[in-house]
Amino acid sequence: MASGNMKEIKRRVKSVESTMQITKAMELVASSKLRRAKTRAEDARPFFDELYAIMCRTAGLTKGLDTVYAAKREIKNRLYIVIAGDRGLAGGYNSNILKLADGRWTDDGIKPKIIAIGKKSVEFFSKRGYELIGEYPGLSEYIKVADAADIAQTATDMFLKHEADEIVLFFTQFVSPLVQNPIAMPVLPIIAPVGSLDKPNSSQVTYDPSPDAVFGRIIPRMITSLIVCAVNESYASELGARRTAMENATDNAQEMIDTLSLAYNRARQEKITNELNEIVSGANAL
Amino acid sequence: MTPFRLKILTPERLLFDGEVQSVIVRTTVGDKGILAHHEPYVAALGIGQAKIKDPDGKERVGAVSSGIVEVTAEKTTILAQSFEWADEIDVDRAEKARALAEENITRWKNDQRKLDIAEYKLKRAINRISTAERKL
Repeated sequence: MASGNMKEIKRRVKSVESTMQITKAMELVASSKLRRAKTRAEDARPFFDELYAIMCRTAGLTKGLDTVYAAKREIKNRLYIVIAGDRGLAGGYNSNILKLADGRWTDDGIKPKIIAIGKKSVEFFSKRGYELIGEYPGLSEYIKVADAADIAQTATDMFLKHEADEIVLFFTQFVSPLVQNPIAMPVLPIIAPVGSLDKPNSSQVTYDPSPDAVFGRIIPRMITSLIVCAVNESYASELGARRTAMENATDNAQEMIDTLSLAYNRARQEKITNELNEIVSGANAL
Repeated sequence: MTPFRLKILTPERLLFDGEVQSVIVRTTVGDKGILAHHEPYVAALGIGQAKIKDPDGKERVGAVSSGIVEVTAEKTTILAQSFEWADEIDVDRAEKARALAEENITRWKNDQRKLDIAEYKLKRAINRISTAERKL
């Protein structure tokens, strides 16, 4: 009985050990990739912030000018651009952002169309019966400006053709390797920050050659850059989340191995004691 | 001349943040010069050169490709898809990019989208090369 138990425990220790090797390897891979992704995301942040600020400011200043991009419309159609990872095993990273997008429209029940970036995002939304406008799996690790420009162009076209009255970008902001925030960022129509509207002289900005021409050229580019930056942020977040998750998994595996070894040693001792007992009682019987 | 604050940013990095006397950038409708106390202004940038003059009167030239310039009372901001100072341009790489783009233009004659991309890349490469040569 005892020896059978021991074999069982030994087998489990082995299997936990091999799992631990995998999680440990994934942790190391994630942390080395994280370093690069983190610098890329952090270097882009001033640009990202400035870009969004200009977009909002421009929208605030042009209140009187009535460009289609800043005009608020009644929402009949939605477009969500959702960035998630290509792989799982990253803790709550994928499910946090996907659930945020999945739960955001339920107030009025207008189901959004989706542009899905990342394999997990594609899988999630196609399984739930969303209409997918674009699928971009395997883009995150090395996003090309041309791909982002494609997405931005599709989104802008849909907005202009009234196929989307609200465009929201979902991504995960990288705060630190331990903290990542899922964020829903409204892209179109551009929402002016509160307070910018009542600035005097606010409509005296010069647009070269004309507001509409400037907007027409700038908006797709702004969205392109927003997407590139958001993908970089998300990718760094994914690696951070994966590293943390794998670190925990490795720790848990170690703990399990410790408990199992203890049980194994106990069983071994028990077996020896039993054998001794048998020998002693056998000798006594003689 | 009165100096004013200029910021130059690309998705890769912050290239410049400081005082300058003047900026000249290539917008989609032509070169635009900006001095201190310029009126609020927004324009899209084309592919071209940007010239700045620092408070000591020294000039620096950079190659810009597409972006936005915004002038507010506080500062002027250039947000560019790419920006390189003339002395940082890798001319060999630009020459290679030019050769490749020229090849692609003949190859993708029938595919408008690919042709557009190739032409855009060619323009960028030529801009880089001429910016770098101007410096020499």
